[in-house]
Amino acid sequence: MKRLALFFLPLAACATTEPPVSEMAAARQMVAQARAIAAQDAAQDLATAQSKLAHAEAAMQREQYEHARLLAQQAEADAKLAWTNAEKLQAQRALREERSGR
Amino acid sequence: MKRPLKLSLMAAVLAAGGCATLSPEAERQLEEARATYRFASDDPHVQRYAAAELASASTALREAERLAAEGGSPELVEHNAYLAERRSRTALGSAQIRQAEADIAVTREERRRTQLEAREREAAAARAQLLARERVEKEKVSVAATDLAAEVKRLETELADVRAKQTDRGWILTLKNELLFDSGGATLKPGAQRALDNLAQFLRKHPERDIAIEGFTDSIGSPDSNQRLSERRAQAVKDALTGRGIESRRINARGFGPSFPVASNATETGRQLNRRVEIVINPS
Repeated sequence: MKRLALFFLPLAACATTEPPVSEMAAARQMVAQARAIAAQDAAQDLATAQSKLAHAEAAMQREQYEHARLLAQQAEADAKLAWTNAEKLQAQRALREERSGR
Repeated sequence: MKRPLKLSLMAAVLAAGGCATLSPEAERQLEEARATYRFASDDPHVQRYAAAELASASTALREAERLAAEGGSPELVEHNAYLAERRSRTALGSAQIRQAEADIAVTREERRRTQLEAREREAAAARAQLLARERVEKEKVSVAATDLAAEVKRLETELADVRAKQTDRGWILTLKNELLFDSGGATLKPGAQRALDNLAQFLRKHPERDIAIEGFTDSIGSPDSNQRLSERRAQAVKDALTGRGIESRRINARGFGPSFPVASNATETGRQLNRRVEIVINPS
């Protein structure tokens, strides 16, 4: 549940008013990259990332930019972790195959 | 209850700070971020292979610590701690990817080397086999050479007054003229027939070998007559062999007169040695 904690954050007191364009772009890009390989090997982190990205998009719509920025940064971090773990598992599988002699 | 006390303590501590106090959830998140970051940064593989990701985790953690110390908003403390924790885990995963890839490369290299060694062993075995075959061939040849040497030696023992020696030109059999000819003549003596029979037999047995018959004299008398005498004697030996069925083209008869003495012409013993016919058995 902790990963979803931020969904219910109130607007931060010291919020910036600029839309977090680059954070959103980075999050979208990383989520797309993770989706390509992580659906099986890192399903939970990928789902978290996708959910946060969706909430970030919604916050953008509502012009809650600070909230969107935080969600986008977390979505990117989650997606990157999902992608990395999926890559790691694939590499470790490849290593096992290589060692078993194929 | 400890919690309200703790919260109020923190509130007191952070009161001077800013927008909010550090929530238990933020504190828990911060502690987890610290532990995960410490675990990742202690790993030499992470330091080596995921330095950039580790640095971005460090940045987020420092930001979380700073906000916590300055009484920044708990949400932002929690947010940065969360990023630090995620990035630390990502750094760990990146290092594990690199490690697995390195292990794959090592495994491939090992297999390649194993295959190479197997191929080299096969090649070495093939070479050894070839060498063994060559050795057998050489032995056959050397057996043949030994056979020839034995035969020549036998010829030497069968022919009285014949000496055989091996030279660069091949085997040379030396027959004294006294064995073959009367003094001054070029007619073969009856006693020479057995020696010629043996020689012909030898040549029939070794059809691959040609011979040279070379006549020599001592230095008594005129060089011209000695030259002609040595030629006629060499030719007489050749005729005797062709008469025994040896092909003429295999035999080269020449005379050298008193040239190439093998001993001094000053003594009778020396002159006797110089009066000779040499049979040169060419190397095949």
